[in-house]
Amino acid sequence: MKPNPESKNDPALEDVLKQWVVDAPLPPRFQERVWERIAGAEAKPETTLGFWALLRRLVEMNLPRPQFAYSYVAILLLLGVVSGAWAAQRESSRLNATLGSRYVQSVDPYQKVGLNQ
Amino acid sequence: MKRAALILLAGLLLSTAAFSGFYYFGTASCRAMMSEPQPELAWLKKEFKLSDTEVARITRLHEAYLPQCAQRCTRIAELNDKLEQLLSQASSVTPEIQSVLSERAKVRADCEAEMLNHFLEVSRMMPPQQGQRYLQWVEQQTCLGGQGMEARHHSMEGHHH
Repeated sequence: MKPNPESKNDPALEDVLKQWVVDAPLPPRFQERVWERIAGAEAKPETTLGFWALLRRLVEMNLPRPQFAYSYVAILLLLGVVSGAWAAQRESSRLNATLGSRYVQSVDPYQKVGLNQ
Repeated sequence: MKRAALILLAGLLLSTAAFSGFYYFGTASCRAMMSEPQPELAWLKKEFKLSDTEVARITRLHEAYLPQCAQRCTRIAELNDKLEQLLSQASSVTPEIQSVLSERAKVRADCEAEMLNHFLEVSRMMPPQQGQRYLQWVEQQTCLGGQGMEARHHSMEGHHH
C-alpha cells in the first residue's frame, strides 16, 4: 500500500494520533514468550541438503532452462558417439588380430598344438 | 520436475543410441568377415586389399596346401610320440633316438620349405607391394622368423642374468 503524502502533514490526524492511547493489555508472560521464541529460532539447526537432494534440486531448477538442457543433451550425445567409436575401434582391432592369428595357425604347423617341442 | 525428468531421460536415450549406432557400424566389417565361410581368408583379403580374383586364386592355393600341411603335422606328432616313448626308457642317446631326431628334423625342414613355398606362391598372387608386405608379415609371425629354440635359449639366458 502506497503512503498517502497528504496525510503526513495533516494536523488533524496528528492530533488524533497524539491522543491515541493503547489500553489493550499484553497477554500474560508476553516478554518471556518473545525471548523463548527468539531462543528457539536460534537453537533450531539449519536444514542441510544431502548430495542427492541437492542434485535433484539442481536438476529441477536448471534442466528445464533451454541453454542447460541443450548443453546436457549435446554433451551426452558426444559422449555416446566418442565412446561408441572407441569401443568399435577396440573390438575391430581385437577381431583383426584374432583373424590374423587364425590365418597363421592354419598355415604354420609350429603354431598347431603340441608340435613345437 | 516432469519436464526435467523427460530431458534427463531423452539425454540418456540419445547417448545410448549414439553409442550403439557407432559401435554397430564400426564393427560391421569385422562381423561380416567372421560370418564368412573362411574368415581368415576374408581377413587376408581386407588386410592386403585383394580383388575377388586374387582371393579366389589364393583360396585354391590355401585349400591345396592345407591337406599336405596336415599330413606333415601328423607325421611330426607321430615322431614326437615315438621320441617321448624312447626317452622314457633310455638313459643315453641310442641310435634309434638319433634316427627319430634326424627324421623329425627332416620332416620339419620339409615342412618349413613347403610353407615358405606356399607363402611365396600366395605373395605372387598379390599386387607386388602387398605381396612384399605379406612376406614380411608371415616371416615375423611364423617359425620362419627363427623364433623357436633360439628365442627360448635367449630368454633363458636373460633369466640367468
